[in-house]
Amino acid sequence: APCVSSGLPKPINVTFSSVNMKNVLQWNSPEGLRGTDVVYTVQYLIYGQKRWLNKSECRNINRTSCDLSYDTYDHEEQYYGRVKAIWGKHCSKWAETERFNPWLETQIGPPVVALTPGEKSISVVLTAPEKWKRNAENNSVSMHQIYPTLKYNVSIYNTKTNKKWYKFVTNHTLEFPQLESDTLYCIRVQAYVPGPRRKAKPSDNQCITTLKDQTSELKVK
Amino acid sequence: LKRCQISMDMHHIEKSFHRIKNTIQMKDVFQNVTILSASETLYNITPSDVCCMTKDVLGLYVDKVFRNHEESDPRIQRGLSTIANSFLHIRNALEQCKNQRNCDCQKEATEKFQIIVGNYEQMEVKAAAIKALGELDILLSWISRNYRPKATT
Amino acid sequence: DEVVNLPAPPDLSVHSTNMKHILTWSPVTIPGETVNYSVEYQGEYERYYTSSTWIPSSWCSSISTPECNVTDDITATVAYNFRVKATLGSQSSSWSTLKELFNRNSTVLTSPRMKISKDGYHLIVEFEDMGPYFEFNVTYWKKSPNSQKELYKIVREGGNLVHLETMEAGAEYCVKAQTIVEVIERSSTFNQVECIRAQDESPL
Repeated sequence: APCVSSGLPKPINVTFSSVNMKNVLQWNSPEGLRGTDVVYTVQYLIYGQKRWLNKSECRNINRTSCDLSYDTYDHEEQYYGRVKAIWGKHCSKWAETERFNPWLETQIGPPVVALTPGEKSISVVLTAPEKWKRNAENNSVSMHQIYPTLKYNVSIYNTKTNKKWYKFVTNHTLEFPQLESDTLYCIRVQAYVPGPRRKAKPSDNQCITTLKDQTSELKVK
Repeated sequence: LKRCQISMDMHHIEKSFHRIKNTIQMKDVFQNVTILSASETLYNITPSDVCCMTKDVLGLYVDKVFRNHEESDPRIQRGLSTIANSFLHIRNALEQCKNQRNCDCQKEATEKFQIIVGNYEQMEVKAAAIKALGELDILLSWISRNYRPKATT
Repeated sequence: DEVVNLPAPPDLSVHSTNMKHILTWSPVTIPGETVNYSVEYQGEYERYYTSSTWIPSSWCSSISTPECNVTDDITATVAYNFRVKATLGSQSSSWSTLKELFNRNSTVLTSPRMKISKDGYHLIVEFEDMGPYFEFNVTYWKKSPNSQKELYKIVREGGNLVHLETMEAGAEYCVKAQTIVEVIERSSTFNQVECIRAQDESPL
């Protein structure tokens, strides 16, 4: 039976959290209802379309998040999400997000970084992050296809000289030649799209040691 | 815009709108209506029509949208002033391109622009203005994607 | 309070260097009193499309110094006007405005401060952070008696050590740079050439 819209407080801080177009609606439980057996129901609206749509997987749930990636997959559209709290026969009014624009607001995840050490060089192969996939069998869509101006900000830190410097690249392979052999270097890469302050997650710092100088090894023997 | 290369300040226009986006969009209560809906109008405009479509849509904003919106909050006023003056600068530059016959509209683009004008004029004047202002992120994204700064080494 | 004839602040003008725009005027002095000022601006749009409305400046409503940083107000490449009035308690002067409108494309562009360094064989360049409008066109070459092939690179922002080139052992490399401000389609003069020598081949 439908719940009665009473004075139950609304969920708060209802927002979309989005990385590589994986769009998750999240909220905080309303004041005064924390720890009780309150449940939530979610709907979403495609901006410009007539009706709010139910998210069946997020009906009467007790967690405070709901993955709407499947329903907000078209990143050319904008969306609203809303959630209401239900406690027994009582329910709150809807609490709504601001208008969500995935193309503008998604955070660009870190690229996959593969490092190969040489004697005096390090080769770097970058794989652009992928857009969230509706199901595993689907072809991957690289974030590079969605953002053609996507670039990489590659920093390299020489642990011996304590110097760190940057290279801004657009292609996916690069090499750091003429390094010092048998030296630990740490590399971090951040994908970014020039333009409005789009958040981007840098990769973890990956450290690798260049190989020992073979020629001096032979001399020593 | 490629044939008609003009200097835009998209980064700062987008930043200005980003600061006032939520305040403006919250004033638009008609969530189930859209003026610029990408998929019907701005989507797959041919590259040769990008210039004239930009000029016409910016003209709609300069001549009607900003004028029909009254704003008392100085913070919003400043954000909208940045965008209006930037649009004015771009539109004036595109007008010069038009005079050099670099910015003409083909039939399909003209029809799509008429859909936008129709959507706009179906609504009450103030509601239409606030909705169009709230959809600036759609327009700015479209312009950004169709205009690439010069390649760097 | 005693009625004082407050004159409008005279000599309004804009001083602009490297896209930082400062509005100044001569102070209005009333012995024993502190006079405050308020600044408003309008762009070309406000002048011709909205029956000349004026917008309160971002940072200068009721200030006591006769100058105002209007960089955050001038955000398009069109002609801007400013007006200033003096206030003392409840009394206000009339507004004074610029004699000549100001467009940011007239800003003075100075050549960039640059630091070049090396990390082993790697030539590194760093520019001062001049703000979001500035990019740097870097020209560099390896010094050699016969040919001098110039290479170019655009550095998008200041404030970072950016890799320029991998140098040949023992060779000397020279660098010069200019700023580029795309929104006004202008660039500065080149700065002083700086040179640095790569380390010699590491001894075996």
